[in-house]
Amino acid sequence: MLDSFYVAWRYLAFHKARTATLVACVTLLAALPLALQVLLEASERQLRARAEATPLLLGAKGSALDLVMNALYFADAMPAPISMAAQDQVDASALALPIPLYVRFQARGFPIVGTTLDYFDFRGLEIARGRPLAMLGEALVGAEVAARLGLTPGDGLLSSPETVFDLAGVYPLKLRVVGVLAPSRSPDDRAVFVDVKTAWVVEGLVHGHADLGRRADDSVIIEQTEGNTIASAKLAQYTEITEANIASFHFHGDPAGYPLNAVIVVAQDAKSGTLLRGRYLNGESPHQLVLPGAVIDGLLADVFRIKRVLDAVIGVVGLATLLALALVFTLSVRLRQREIHTLFRIGCSRFTIARLLGAEMAIIATASAGLCGAALTAVHASSDELVRRLFFG
Amino acid sequence: MRARALRFGHWPILLNPWLNGRQAGWMVVVPGTLLGVLLSTGLLGAVCAAAERPAVYAVNYPLQYFAERIAGEHAEVVLPVPPGMNPAFWQPDAAAIADLQRADLILLNGAGYAKWLDRVTLPRRKLVNTSAGFRDSYIETTEAPTHSHGREGAHSHAGTAFTTWLDFAQAAEQAQAVQDALAQLLPAQVPALRNNLDGLKRDLHDLDRRLAAMVAREPHMPLLASHPVYQYLARRYGLELSSVLWEPDALPSPAEWQALVALRETHPADWMLWEAEPLPATRRRLEALGIRSAVFAPCGNRPEHSRDPNQYSGQVPSQGQGHDRGRGRSLSQDRQDADFLSVMHANLERLAEVFGGAGGR
Repeated sequence: MLDSFYVAWRYLAFHKARTATLVACVTLLAALPLALQVLLEASERQLRARAEATPLLLGAKGSALDLVMNALYFADAMPAPISMAAQDQVDASALALPIPLYVRFQARGFPIVGTTLDYFDFRGLEIARGRPLAMLGEALVGAEVAARLGLTPGDGLLSSPETVFDLAGVYPLKLRVVGVLAPSRSPDDRAVFVDVKTAWVVEGLVHGHADLGRRADDSVIIEQTEGNTIASAKLAQYTEITEANIASFHFHGDPAGYPLNAVIVVAQDAKSGTLLRGRYLNGESPHQLVLPGAVIDGLLADVFRIKRVLDAVIGVVGLATLLALALVFTLSVRLRQREIHTLFRIGCSRFTIARLLGAEMAIIATASAGLCGAALTAVHASSDELVRRLFFG
Repeated sequence: MRARALRFGHWPILLNPWLNGRQAGWMVVVPGTLLGVLLSTGLLGAVCAAAERPAVYAVNYPLQYFAERIAGEHAEVVLPVPPGMNPAFWQPDAAAIADLQRADLILLNGAGYAKWLDRVTLPRRKLVNTSAGFRDSYIETTEAPTHSHGREGAHSHAGTAFTTWLDFAQAAEQAQAVQDALAQLLPAQVPALRNNLDGLKRDLHDLDRRLAAMVAREPHMPLLASHPVYQYLARRYGLELSSVLWEPDALPSPAEWQALVALRETHPADWMLWEAEPLPATRRRLEALGIRSAVFAPCGNRPEHSRDPNQYSGQVPSQGQGHDRGRGRSLSQDRQDADFLSVMHANLERLAEVFGGAGGR
């Protein structure tokens, strides 16, 4: 038996290219659907864990999926904004703790998440280095952001303009990194956290500038009437918040009208949550209060429907590949007719020849299985990271 | 916070000199050690009890006073603003914000008070707006000029008047909000909190009644205010008040004097209310114009000679007890243990002179 495997091994080793092609075909055929299954399971696990840890989410009426993906995974899809008044309404109900989220801007490719300190307690995020947010203009970066951008407490991080063609847009704001979060293996690792008011500074709704009453250059004033001063764009706004200028930062208009993407609603108990949900069920409310778990279940149902189609496609492709492999093998045997005839003439029985060919197939199958196992182990080990990059990155 | 700084590990260090002096023999050391252990245990108990007290931070002195009166010894009430500084315009540094973030409860005045709140990050679940119950009654201020950036529209940095506690009925509502918040923090102490709140409300009601009676003697008397901080006082008690923007520690400019003369043509006031004692030169020049000065201190920060909050210890001074200078307490006594109530009583006595009475009792 071992002799057969030895001869088969020598034969395959001699025909390296053909053997490698056969092994690759069989490996891909087996690994592809299994790797897809591993990734889907990881994505399902991640999506569900994050969604189930977020009891209720308040946002504008519209796509619940966009709302959940933006608020939970900081995805680029932006739901319609809601105002701070919506959050205040939840707060005034005394039924839940509202945690605002404003995810619109980016800093060097990572989302800037405007929120409050309650978010860190709610998600159980720990600070590995530095301190919590304390003042306007400060940022707390996720572990991956810190690693990839080489940030440590005390560094600066510039917000990115929404579009490079928006020449009249707001100035980028230089954020001061005050802390780095410990890894949480969640989208929080890839986020730059700021106070929601700082997010409004990035947007230009809150800003600071020189005192118009003590200006050195009168040309910054377009018009001045009793009780109203109209300044030109020449009036420079501060692009970094420092101890020297922080007192000049101010809100324009009523903060109750300032935008948010979503509000995480942490109900005091199940009854409070039900009561709150009832308030947003009527058709007149411009807001929706969704259960992220239910939204993600809907998404996963769609994903698994697609997966079933994919499985069928892979099955058909796999069958075709197997048939092709069988054909290749049959043709290969036909091409090896002279070689097989020589073996027969030197005394090998038909059974021995069949055993030699079987040993070749077994070696190819074993090599493919080994490679497939190694590939799946690698995919499984990095599935969380791969899913984050593929789906939320 | 001081109580939190003392930990169990500190006690052996504190007791070391005492033990070192008794190394002569076992007869001394053993009882000494036992006594030390007992003492440590007792002191440790006291420290633990103190450390368990929740830390309540207030953004101004009236709220600190209310919280101290209501919580008594059951909470450690802190006003983080340094003495002599107006809490409305204080800007905390990172260390002060860190202290605030560690607090169990942060009492806000609301009505746009303490603009620094817009520039710091605090945990929302610990914030309590004590004036939220009457937010619909906030007074919009229009004194601050507006400005625009480009031509997209004007805006103003003016907001709402924020010295809400000068309307003593509103102050009582704020005290109620403080008690509600403390009750959630100290559910086991609710009866004591309610009892203390009742005493405080009685005192505030007494102030309210006296001031209303005082103004009722001359309801249409025109008055001037050196600063626009008396909006709620004027609304509640029907004062005919017109404000200028003068600082007590600065001489008004010639233009400001001219504006005052022009204002008096339509508002013939003979008295000006000040937040603090004006400069003698200002006072003299006002008197030359026929305007007398009276101080009505809003008491936003703690008085310089403030009462030790620990002296309450559950015994809350009730109406007419301990705060009433009008009943035989001297000015020097008030200065020694001034608090919100004594400052307000002193304000009323000065206002009584304005309205030509004897304090409205």
